[in-house]
Amino acid sequence: MNEIDYITPKNLEEVFRAVEKKKRKIKFIAGCTNVIPYMRGEAISPELLIDLSSLENLNYIREENGIIAIGALTTISKLTASEIIRNQSPILFSAASLLGNPLTRNRATIGGNLADASPAADMAPPLLALEAFVHTKRGEGEGREISLDKFFLGPNKTVLAEDEIITHITFSKPKDSARGIYIKLGLRNSMAISVVSIALMIEMEGKVCQKARVALGAVSPTPIRVYRLEKNLEGKEIDQEIIQEYSVILKEEISPISDIRASAEYRKLATSVLFKRAIQEVLKGEKT
Amino acid sequence: MSNKRKIKESLQSGYQTVGKPMPQQDAWDKAFGKTKYADDYLMPGMLYGKVLRSKYPAANILSIDTSKAERLPGVKAVITAKDVPNNETVTRFGQTHSVGGFEGLYRVLAYKKVRFMGEAIALVAAETQEIAEKAVNLIKVDYEPLPGVFDPIEAMKPGAYQVGEEESNTICNFKVRKGDVEKGFSLSDVIVENTYQVPFIDHAYIETESGVAWIDDDGVITIRVSTQVIEHFREVAEVLGLLHNKVRVIGTMIGGGFGGKEDITVETYLALLTWKAKKPVKLTYTREESILAHSKRHPYFMKYRTGATNDGKLMALEAELISDAGGYVYLSPWVLLYSTVGATGPYDIPYVKVDSYTVLTNNTFSSAMRGFGVPQVCFAYESQMDELARRLNLSPLEIRKKNYLRKGKALATGRVLDHYVAFPETAEKALAALGEQSKPKSPAEKIGRGIASGMTSYGRMVFLHDTSRSYVSLDMDGSVTVRCGVQDLGGGQASSLAQIAAEVLGVPMKDIKVYIADTALTPLAGTTTATRQLYMSGNATLKAAKEVREKLLGKAAKMLETRQEDLELQDRKVVAKESPDRNIPLANVVKACASDGIPLYNVAQFNAPFRELVDFRTGQGQVFPDFTFGTHAAEISVDVETGKIKVLKLVACLDVGKAINPLSVEGQLEGGTVQGLGYALMEDVVLEKGVTLTTSLSEYLIPTALDVVDVENIVLESGDGVGPFGAKGVGEPSMVSIAPAVVNAVCDALGIRVFDLPLTPEKIVKALKKS
Amino acid sequence: MKTYLVEIKLNGEWQKAEVTAKETLIEVLRNKLGATEVKNGCGKGDCGSCAVIFNGKAVNSCLTLALQANGKEVTTLKGIGTEERPHPLQKSFVQHGAVQCGFCTAGMIVSAKALLDHNSKPSRDEIREAISGNLCRCTGYKKIINAIQDVALESKL
Repeated sequence: MNEIDYITPKNLEEVFRAVEKKKRKIKFIAGCTNVIPYMRGEAISPELLIDLSSLENLNYIREENGIIAIGALTTISKLTASEIIRNQSPILFSAASLLGNPLTRNRATIGGNLADASPAADMAPPLLALEAFVHTKRGEGEGREISLDKFFLGPNKTVLAEDEIITHITFSKPKDSARGIYIKLGLRNSMAISVVSIALMIEMEGKVCQKARVALGAVSPTPIRVYRLEKNLEGKEIDQEIIQEYSVILKEEISPISDIRASAEYRKLATSVLFKRAIQEVLKGEKT
Repeated sequence: MSNKRKIKESLQSGYQTVGKPMPQQDAWDKAFGKTKYADDYLMPGMLYGKVLRSKYPAANILSIDTSKAERLPGVKAVITAKDVPNNETVTRFGQTHSVGGFEGLYRVLAYKKVRFMGEAIALVAAETQEIAEKAVNLIKVDYEPLPGVFDPIEAMKPGAYQVGEEESNTICNFKVRKGDVEKGFSLSDVIVENTYQVPFIDHAYIETESGVAWIDDDGVITIRVSTQVIEHFREVAEVLGLLHNKVRVIGTMIGGGFGGKEDITVETYLALLTWKAKKPVKLTYTREESILAHSKRHPYFMKYRTGATNDGKLMALEAELISDAGGYVYLSPWVLLYSTVGATGPYDIPYVKVDSYTVLTNNTFSSAMRGFGVPQVCFAYESQMDELARRLNLSPLEIRKKNYLRKGKALATGRVLDHYVAFPETAEKALAALGEQSKPKSPAEKIGRGIASGMTSYGRMVFLHDTSRSYVSLDMDGSVTVRCGVQDLGGGQASSLAQIAAEVLGVPMKDIKVYIADTALTPLAGTTTATRQLYMSGNATLKAAKEVREKLLGKAAKMLETRQEDLELQDRKVVAKESPDRNIPLANVVKACASDGIPLYNVAQFNAPFRELVDFRTGQGQVFPDFTFGTHAAEISVDVETGKIKVLKLVACLDVGKAINPLSVEGQLEGGTVQGLGYALMEDVVLEKGVTLTTSLSEYLIPTALDVVDVENIVLESGDGVGPFGAKGVGEPSMVSIAPAVVNAVCDALGIRVFDLPLTPEKIVKALKKS
Repeated sequence: MKTYLVEIKLNGEWQKAEVTAKETLIEVLRNKLGATEVKNGCGKGDCGSCAVIFNGKAVNSCLTLALQANGKEVTTLKGIGTEERPHPLQKSFVQHGAVQCGFCTAGMIVSAKALLDHNSKPSRDEIREAISGNLCRCTGYKKIINAIQDVALESKL
């Protein structure tokens, strides 16, 4: 019979003391919206569950000196209820509203969504487009500040060490001139795993693009930024021709798989369609 | 906003309860969380059951070693085929007299050859769920995987892998022949030929299969189970080698059936485990297990060739239907017969040729699901109608109006429709209810509308001698008891019997107690399938209640010194119609009857009219008692770049004969329409070489509240049904024609047609590219 | 097997149970605390039939560990209303015909209650959204939304 232990540390020191002492297969848990299905499906068999959900000091949304900081244990529904998120990072707000369903949003956390690192993780594309940083702490050694675009290694794999947890996520508050959009394509309008998702942040000066950040989900082994596209957009006057041309380039930058939801070919097509729409929407001047 | 439009004929007046919208009697307990579903039962000393299922869709079983499992502490029973007294029976599914082709092998546990992935091989009962699961994993099965066959068309070919032991893969075939179809084509100006395909579908009831069984103090194996058919007690008894009366099945309130709980699910496993362990046992399927191992809706490959004249008159229809029966026969022949009879749709066609086949493969076995073979052909024939309309430059409504059957006309099977046929009204009203066409909100959006008409039987096939029994009695205080074997799926099956008794006996609903679904204590009423319960048990209850009423009025007439015809039952009183202040409380009459030795109860049997078995070589003859006719209409918008479909409007217009409970009728229309919407847009049990890939409800998608719009109901009441008070059945008809309406709407929007379901965004995009 | 003592304030009353670390909230509610009104439709958060109010929020009890509810409040359908003191949502569901097989009802009413607690006058679209994590296979959702909307319109808040 596999014995599983469970602890609820009250602060980070207790977390790491537990990690050190037990030296077993640990799993950090919070909302459990992925962990429980994994355990049930026997995809994982942890020996010690370290429940982070009562770490109150990791549950917050703050804006300070132009930086927005979100505690890793902030639930997705807390994000959708936050004025800061709605006003300062509308693309993150959009993605949060479309994640899962109202019940799972009340439990799933932003840290958990990133740490789970599904290629279709809903929080990743907007945070990538916002150039977010993941802040961690670990038992042995210093915590790190990792740029999110260096955080994912593969499907359900990140750079996190076994004893390392995300404490918070930060990103700079976008400039007032910045506009962004998030679009999710799923086979159903709720409880849908993304077939393709795109997050776009653009800073324009007149018709010229000053800065572009394009992030995609569900079309590569990890959520990605499309650097080639971003570089091509920056400094250009964006017109229909450019949009069309780049939507084609985009297909070369992604490596989607075929699965029961969609074929790779469809994903490529949908990605270019969503990109065109996203950029046209953003150019219309709405800070969607 | 809900927009309820009811067009009724004047049958409403004069009824006390019938025709009044009211909540189902069972709704309150459900809303309070008091109703105990099958898995809610706990018995002292109860064990937990678990099934070991095959890892391969096709394989020989070389050996089964249960020794480790048996030794695990906490395990109280391990059963394989050798422990089962009668592991195999040839079942005439649905208790019929012997009808060739309708028999099938019912095998409890596989022991030599596996025919589908997920097939049951062994059973375990243990003290906890966890121990049971561990024990199942300790059973060692040595498999020799076999190639298998996963496509029914392949399986039909000579030399194909043989799914069964001796029998051919092709289970049976039916024919309809009406005239010489080639002559019909020669008379046609336009011929449209297409092949349509529909996938495996899961019932996706929110409650999975579940039950608890125990041996009662008299040694009777008692099974409390979520089932649409308590009559399976007979099969269970035969499996155990017991007399039928030594097995009792008690049906619980079902958390959704839709045909998936029509065949035996957990009953036999429970009976075996409790019989071996001598303790109560509970068995509840996980969702993954339910998707993997219970019956599915048949995939069909349908080749249709339809010919019409230039002014839209149908001349000829030739159809070849091939259904995938999966690993075992179950109800496949019956489903095939329904499809065959329904293949032409509600249209008058002079020359018809239909050939249908149902074929074994190593996929999950297919059996009953709401509509029972009719939604599949409706998709085909209604798509054909729209294709013809396009070719002939007629509107979808126009071409249908030229061809609809009417009362007095015959189906291609020679059966004359002897009840009112609600065409073209249902089509006209459904289309009109769509109102003004919505405008697209962006250049990538195209809007379309479509209609589809359906003809769905209610009541079982007429050569089956279908019967139902119901018991109605009055107690000393005038309260009423109804006992009827009816199984309640949630569609108000039990409640409508109370309504009928209330109507006949003039008492309020709350004075009526209905006991259902107990093979030991309630008269057997037959299956809750084939949209038959209102028709059959409703009529039986009506009959029983009327006979009680006769006795009451006879006595009351004497007490009031008047004639029976002058009396009425109203509000717990016997009342003189002419002078209502001359009345006696019902309870007084009851007591008076009791003193006189006049029993105030009755068990009545309703027999469905019998017709000889249809001729399977020509399909000529009557198969069903009656049909419910209806039309669905849909307006959708398609995003031509992503292929995503958005539903804008849905209308369901059916002639229900008489709406015994209008609130329930609406509920069926709304629910059936949304189930059909799922069929059209997103439902697909994906199997790859017999392995189910859509393992849970996050891969097998059914509509959420954000995927639907409010269905607009238009309920017509012709009064011409064969059910009580002229009612027709509604449960299945409500879902038959919605998927083709949506498909026709998409085609209207895009100018191209998709020939297989579901209409995923990818399929739309591919179809647009091809055109 | 290692077990832990968990104390949960279930529908206003403190209850105790012995649970393992892996045991989910729905398992302890149904199997040990007699709360069979909480339904198990899928075990992994795909259907919403197990919804309960946990720390003021509607959640899937199948996606919550029993131990995570230790010392916390859980409200099920029976904590929202009973036969003796029915909640307007229960009455409305029944009267609108929003209950057919009834298996989704407990979860639906929980989600509806959670909605009305935060937003007493939701639009029809907001209601649709609030129940978008609760699957129903019988009703097509229309009468459920009607029932919830009716309570919202009637409420004096």
